[in-house]
Amino acid sequence: MMTMILRRLIALPFILLIVYTITLTLAWVVPGNPLENPEKRPKPEVVEQMNKQYNLDSFPRFYFSYLSSATGLKYARDAISGQLAREREEALSRGYPAPVRPVFDLGPSLKYDDKTVNELISETLPVSVTLGASAILIALVIGMGAGVAGAVKPNSLTDHVTLAVAMIGISLPSFVIGTVLLLVFSIWLGWFPVAQWGTPRSIALPALALSLPFAAYIARLTRMGMIDALGADYIRTARAKGNPQRVVLIRHALKNAFLPVLSFLGPATALAMTGSFVIERVFTVPGMGEHFVSAVQNKDYFVIIGVVLVFATMLIVFNLIVDVLYRWVDPRIQ
Amino acid sequence: MYRLLLPVILLLALVGVSVLSDKPSPRADLVFINSSDVNTLDPQRMSWMHDMRTARLLFEGLVRNDVLSDDFAIIPGVAESWSVSGDGRTYTFRLREDARWSNGEPVTAEDFRYSWRRAMLPDLVADYVNMFMLIEGAQDFYDWRTEQLDAFSQRSFESPAQRQRSAYDLWDETVAKFDQLVGLSAPDPRTLVVQLSRPVPYFLDLCAFVVFAPVYEPLVAQYERPDPTTARLIRRPGWTAGGVLISNGPFELTRWRMKRDMRLEKNPFYWDTGAIAIDSVDIPSINDPNAGVLAYQTGAVDWIADVTAPYRGEMVAQKQEYLAQHADEVARLKAQGLDQFSIDRQLPPDPRAHTHAVSSFGTYFYNFNCKPYLPDGQPNPFADARVRRAFAMCVDKRAIADQVRRLGEPTASTLIPPGSIGGYESPQGLPNVGDASSETERARIVAKARTLLQEAGFPEDFVVTLSFNKDSGHDLIAQTIAKSWQKHLGVGTRLDQKEIKIFRQELKDKQYMTGRAGWYGDYGDPTTFLDINYSTDGNNDRAYNNPRYDGLIDQAATELDPAKRMALLGEAERILVEQDVPLIPIFHYATIYMFDPQKITGLSTHPRTTQNAYLIDILTDAKGPNQPRPMRRPAPSSQEPAP
Repeated sequence: MMTMILRRLIALPFILLIVYTITLTLAWVVPGNPLENPEKRPKPEVVEQMNKQYNLDSFPRFYFSYLSSATGLKYARDAISGQLAREREEALSRGYPAPVRPVFDLGPSLKYDDKTVNELISETLPVSVTLGASAILIALVIGMGAGVAGAVKPNSLTDHVTLAVAMIGISLPSFVIGTVLLLVFSIWLGWFPVAQWGTPRSIALPALALSLPFAAYIARLTRMGMIDALGADYIRTARAKGNPQRVVLIRHALKNAFLPVLSFLGPATALAMTGSFVIERVFTVPGMGEHFVSAVQNKDYFVIIGVVLVFATMLIVFNLIVDVLYRWVDPRIQ
Repeated sequence: MYRLLLPVILLLALVGVSVLSDKPSPRADLVFINSSDVNTLDPQRMSWMHDMRTARLLFEGLVRNDVLSDDFAIIPGVAESWSVSGDGRTYTFRLREDARWSNGEPVTAEDFRYSWRRAMLPDLVADYVNMFMLIEGAQDFYDWRTEQLDAFSQRSFESPAQRQRSAYDLWDETVAKFDQLVGLSAPDPRTLVVQLSRPVPYFLDLCAFVVFAPVYEPLVAQYERPDPTTARLIRRPGWTAGGVLISNGPFELTRWRMKRDMRLEKNPFYWDTGAIAIDSVDIPSINDPNAGVLAYQTGAVDWIADVTAPYRGEMVAQKQEYLAQHADEVARLKAQGLDQFSIDRQLPPDPRAHTHAVSSFGTYFYNFNCKPYLPDGQPNPFADARVRRAFAMCVDKRAIADQVRRLGEPTASTLIPPGSIGGYESPQGLPNVGDASSETERARIVAKARTLLQEAGFPEDFVVTLSFNKDSGHDLIAQTIAKSWQKHLGVGTRLDQKEIKIFRQELKDKQYMTGRAGWYGDYGDPTTFLDINYSTDGNNDRAYNNPRYDGLIDQAATELDPAKRMALLGEAERILVEQDVPLIPIFHYATIYMFDPQKITGLSTHPRTTQNAYLIDILTDAKGPNQPRPMRRPAPSSQEPAP
């Protein structure tokens, strides 16, 4: 188990390096200059100055300078060479406050001048994490409930209805679900606020909208797992021992049926936490998801790379957590 | 079994913690949706309209525009009075004694010198650096600093420590150089003397522009220092954060959460705090156009500063229907000289009355590439002004405004929206098929256009390409233009739809034949529009080059007599829109607002589309005078602002 964790953790930086290289290359070849106000062009000298300042005039220079500041290498190097101390001394001796330098510096946002990418992510990631976690919780409750209900009486009306609803949940785009929910529950019924964030009431609707595709998938996984499990010998044994239906279903069958759901939870959680930009837009949730879209449109290199790296890290870490849980829940797996 | 619950418990704990740690604050007096997230609150670096709309709440320049007056008069801000020398090149401002920063410190003339110096530095790359170059010595200072920075990067140093020391030394030298070169002086803390390199009749208007507002040196200087390796002044973001920013306007920033909201509270030290009728402002970040309208309908928002929902055409149509139902009353109120918001306020309440189309300081137009050869190497028929004139006359502007845009926007025959700049007489412009009063007139215009094409030898079966980006309904406008050209001129057309970045790049590189464009003015002078057609201007996407046009602009730059100067600029625009026509003005933009006229007052209908939101009074609350604030006609004798 430890070797598995260790191996994954060692692989992490290499995966991130590949992700970084691909992302930056793709972002770089998109035409346009991130520094230009789309309607009014600054003087060419101005653009040239800014290109210089951010290394936007040379791909290799940008690639390596960003790599070293984002990974903390630059910080470490400056700390060892005494550069950090020197900067501090000089600034203080000239009456400037001591310079502040983050260890992992993801750079400035080219579009949102007043924020660093570190700040952008730290302000918006908690929101996305909350939304994603709530959505997965709701998805688990709805999905497993529906899956078990369907599996208990396969091919019954309940089963067909839940399957059909699940199918709709998977295939309907989230902006449709989101808009319908918003219209019915916020505008017509007035039960939930529009375009607010922070209270459980304001989280409920976007979380529900985000959870539905996951719930549908979980329902199908649970149903399949349950049907398999309910036909197994140990269930017959459990029934023969006189266990009530509830105990058989939950303690015996669901435990096994849950395993595929568990392995789905890793990538699903990462996806729900970072890939919710459509829901975030429809419900005006101040999360990180929208940076994915707007940063690419703005060609805001630092933001693009920052959010992609955070997403990649989350994906890897959640998969790791799930694998660890998996082995813990089911010690048979090696 | 309970092991299975662990992931669920983990998730539950996560949600619980984040919900509990996040308490929403009570609703502000005024909640409005800005058109986009604020990019920066650093006045010297801003260039976006939504940034400026917010900044005008937080910062105050030497003077302000009275947005509620019909002539957009200059009124005192931080300066209580000012005088101009006879040659129009020296401005002396007297700062008011009670002008204060939000921490209670006085606003001084040095604050302006510091802030304007920031804008003149090549290091900070301000978009509006050009405006500051009107100040005596600013260009020399900018060039000197640029040279020094270039030289610094070429120099070799014995050690990093020495390099760093030199970077700081160069900065000290730069500060000294600024004092020596630039015509900005502060004989005492309350007097600011500005020397201009040439007379600039609209200089006060620039001073009202928020880019000229001061920043608080003791705060900002902490975030800016010379980079030890490049000597360039580097800025660390952070001083514009909520609770950190120190500003001198009617409000202070207490919270700014990215993509979420901004909260402003009344600045207790503001000199004219008695005139402010709201205590707090919330600016939620709602970027989805539809969500904004929904939020308005639930009452969570008081004012949407730019409705971009796809159905806004219908909203405007419903408003017009509502006005038509009360046509007699509207006519009567109009005759009294009331502005459109005051008229809405007098009519019976109706949800349809909450939509307002306000004319804007901007124009939608089509560019012609005026280069002699097209990107493919073929001779460019549009290099001939006669061809451009013919095509311009045959665009059905009326159909675009009334059937495609449907926002009640006026068709344009000039680049500058008529009536937006006091003392400026707009030229007539070319006749247009869409605005022809009768069929015979239309036929006459078409015949004229066809003759022009014949004279110019416009090639047979030439295919005209229209370039545009794929968003915001530009495709429908391009189709309408193509249809009118096919119909009236019998030419073939090709629509070239591009992704926006590529489209802009092609405009910039002149890799197009005709293409859509738009421009919003920045300040109250015709040059804010006309400069983009100057042969060497960076925004001259048309590659337009007429020495006579450039000459008129140059001549106006040194003309002291305001009336003569306006006449010169009027002649330049006449050449532009009647003779050379490097662009086809199509319509002047309208901005769509949403607010309840019975509830909100203090918004301006002036075509400069500048709102000072601190003038807003919520008529239904207990704060402020709760009296409607209509647009005022200029006083007969207020030609010059009282010193």
